[in-house]
Amino acid sequence: MTGAGGGRTVLSMSSILVVDDSKVMRDMIVACLRAVPGATFVHATTGLEAIERLSLAPFDLMVLDLNMPDVGGIEVLEFVRAQDRLRSLPVLIVTTRGDDESKERVLRAGATAFLAKPFQPEAIIAEVRALLPPTAEARA
Amino acid sequence: MTAQTDLKEFLTAYLVEAEEHVSVANAKLLVLEAAQRNGRHDPKALREIFRALHTIKGLSAMVGVEPIVGIAHRMEAFVRGYDRSGTAPPLASTDVLLKGVQAIAQRIAALGRGEAAQPASLSLLGELDALDPTGAELVERAGPELDLAPELLDKLVPFEIEQLVRSIAGGMRGVVAEFFPSPERAAAGFSINSVRERLSAFTEIVRVLPRSVPVSPQSPGGLAFVLVLLTDAPDAQIAAAVGVEPELLRAIHTARVSPAPGVPSLDAQAPLDHEAEDALSAGVRRGIVRVDVARLDQAMEGLATLIVTRFRLARAVADLAARGVNTRELAEVVTDNARQLRDLRAAIVRVRMVPVSDLLDRVPLLVRGLQRVTNRLVRVEVEGGDAEFDKAVSERLFPVIVHLVRNAVDHAIETPDERTRRGKPEEGLLRIACRAHSNTRLELVVSDDGRGIDREGVARKAGRPVPEGDAGLLELLCIPGLSTREVATTTSGRGMGMEIVKRIVVDELGGELQVATELGAGTTFTLRVPLTISIVDAFAFECGGQRFVVPVSTVDEIVEVDRSDMVQVPAKRDGGPELDVLLRRGQAVPVVALARIFHMTGTPGAAQKAIIVRRAGAPIAFAVDRMLGQQEVVIRPMNDVLVRAPGISGATDLGDGKPTLVLDLVALGTTLDAGNSNARALP
Amino acid sequence: MTLHVIFTVGEVEYALPVASVFQMETFSGATAVPGSPAYVLGIVTVRGRVIPVVDLRRRFGLPAVPTTLDTRIIVTDIDGRVVGLCVDRARDVIDLDPAQRQPAPALVNERSAGLVGGMHARGSRLLLLLDLAKVLTEHAHDHEPLALPSDQAHPRPALPG
Repeated sequence: MTGAGGGRTVLSMSSILVVDDSKVMRDMIVACLRAVPGATFVHATTGLEAIERLSLAPFDLMVLDLNMPDVGGIEVLEFVRAQDRLRSLPVLIVTTRGDDESKERVLRAGATAFLAKPFQPEAIIAEVRALLPPTAEARA
Repeated sequence: MTAQTDLKEFLTAYLVEAEEHVSVANAKLLVLEAAQRNGRHDPKALREIFRALHTIKGLSAMVGVEPIVGIAHRMEAFVRGYDRSGTAPPLASTDVLLKGVQAIAQRIAALGRGEAAQPASLSLLGELDALDPTGAELVERAGPELDLAPELLDKLVPFEIEQLVRSIAGGMRGVVAEFFPSPERAAAGFSINSVRERLSAFTEIVRVLPRSVPVSPQSPGGLAFVLVLLTDAPDAQIAAAVGVEPELLRAIHTARVSPAPGVPSLDAQAPLDHEAEDALSAGVRRGIVRVDVARLDQAMEGLATLIVTRFRLARAVADLAARGVNTRELAEVVTDNARQLRDLRAAIVRVRMVPVSDLLDRVPLLVRGLQRVTNRLVRVEVEGGDAEFDKAVSERLFPVIVHLVRNAVDHAIETPDERTRRGKPEEGLLRIACRAHSNTRLELVVSDDGRGIDREGVARKAGRPVPEGDAGLLELLCIPGLSTREVATTTSGRGMGMEIVKRIVVDELGGELQVATELGAGTTFTLRVPLTISIVDAFAFECGGQRFVVPVSTVDEIVEVDRSDMVQVPAKRDGGPELDVLLRRGQAVPVVALARIFHMTGTPGAAQKAIIVRRAGAPIAFAVDRMLGQQEVVIRPMNDVLVRAPGISGATDLGDGKPTLVLDLVALGTTLDAGNSNARALP
Repeated sequence: MTLHVIFTVGEVEYALPVASVFQMETFSGATAVPGSPAYVLGIVTVRGRVIPVVDLRRRFGLPAVPTTLDTRIIVTDIDGRVVGLCVDRARDVIDLDPAQRQPAPALVNERSAGLVGGMHARGSRLLLLLDLAKVLTEHAHDHEPLALPSDQAHPRPALPG
């Protein structure tokens, strides 16, 4: 967000929702993404919690694991895309090799991008930077 | 730009999580197998197994542990087909799956020790590859009818619909509740996670479905969660858990129930089996923080230092008071500080506590493996109750339980044929029960209905006289090196195992061990162990010019002694000195001078107090110089062989920076009895 | 070249690889442990840990001398066992070349014979290398048995050395 008049925004904050039932996995993702300037993180441990949080606050990006106990990633994605408000939310799906859903299915369900485990930190940083709105820093 | 992220840093956290998933996989495999033996299928258990394996695979891939990825991937691929179709995998596959989980567990343990994870053995991989998933076929079933809104019904999977129909037919109530998340409700403690957690404590959640609703003050997020429940709890309780009015709940009814072909035998008790499982997962969801035990140890160390500093402060204040300074306010502060430290210590100690059931829950799996190898049939009954103890105690007890269980299954319990011949049921019974013994000790009882211990046989092998009581028998069993194959068949345990059991339970943990046995009927081992092993209440005393402490829990009584109280009794053995005893409530208590036993050269003849402890029921009094008071002490272990000595269970710091010995007078009493019989008192 | 701590017991100098040395402390008394071997002075607390202290003079069969300001406890760590060694003096740390190591001389004190693993010659100095594992191996008969009450009537003969 740029300030009106004289003040020039140097850096805008991005709010990222990280959804995975494994705390280790969430921590790893956050550790990787701290390299992205201005990134702030909210954790959700289940698909239902992710849906709940999305309904109550705005996010710039969701990183979503496919394999979760109650409501799987695909179901979350389908539900989210059915909402007008969330239709254009960038969603990065993280899968484990051998997940039921093929890349095509995932993208058809509405994922913006797709990353398979194991991935290197650089890979997820690159994906997320591509998905976030350009920061003021890049614009200036 | 921050330094390069290294995912290997997450190894420890990964190990903790992976271990939990392994635990779940093991537990659910046993549940699945038990259901299969009864002709039922448990799709929920299978789903959890699949998810556990899938998660292990993904995490292992991220931290780069290839060997585990390989094993998990094959298992997961096999299970996935059956999970999708809702059918049961063949019974024989459970063994292979358990082996695979075991292989993963071993590699996790290796990584935990700082070693590398070995690649999976070719034979294991071969067995996993040989698992044939082709039996998993999606079977179309005619759905029975439920009066749920069509869009909800559409979302439920066949298994869930069957579960609802069966349970409602069996008398449970189907209930639909709606939860609307909002910032206000979240602030009041109602979020979808907390609602689910509360509900799962007393009701079965079949499914939770998100639903878009128009945005309104009631539903600011435009979102509702529809909770499909099976319950026998009253509406008011459900409504309170969800945070809505009871009138808003809706009941679910079934139309005609028509069992479809291919559905496994209907029994209404199925949903209730899941209560325990939901409790398990509720535990995981309940704001539980996994803590590295090393961090807790550090916290305890820090606390120990604080306690020592407090002693020094108290002494300094006392010195000031002795010099006439008005220390009233200072003394109050010190007292408050003492109370706060006690509270803090209690809080940290509680954090280190783990349920005894964690330890005992591993027993069924252990017995299952042993049964196969030894050709026995054994039924296991485990009664853990709610007891908890320190993680350090739990860790040390695990090999003890393993030894006792192995001995019971391997040696005590007879083969089914032999049991039948003796008029016993084919299935042997192994029972493990745990209960509080005192407020500082726990009692664990391991009993079997096997052949009992042959005292004469054991005595013969040991070349000793036949022991009279159970205590004597226990001593024989614990003789190091008593193990011989022959002994193993005449006793209910190999000598080796019992020596280790005694060492851990009695020497390391400062507990008690007892055996009771009846030839032909069975054997019972009773262990009493402290709840924690780090901080205890202790009496400090002086003896021979040196200070010592003894834990309060082992002391029966402290008495004043005077020569006139002592009576000399003629010794039992000829030629031996007379025994000095103290008369206490009509009982003769032998008195022993601690200073003499410890070769102390300090001021002789000053002993005025005696500490009475009870060893195997019989009291014995240790004469010491003077008592210095009671206080909490941190026991630091003294494990090196050079300083392992009878009667010494560790060291502590009374505030002067020098270690003070912590005595185990009960053990000292044992050594004296063993070494010989007469006691002598003060000069 | 590996760094070694040089210490003195009696008139003899010994070398210990720095990797085995946890830390060095001045000696301010140890708490006696009844029932432990005679050459164990007792226990001390070092960094929160309670460790045994071995009197190397006694272990090597030398007569006792009063503690001086030079007396040190060398806290060693071998394979996880942390034990303190009480020595007369410990000051230098020097680099020794493992290739220069020689077998132990025959003139070494008989009591310490089995405990020395080799030596280095540095100019006119002879530095003996201790086999720490042997030094710290406890034998059951080393332990001083407790004075059983029955012994008080028939005292046992004093132990040799």
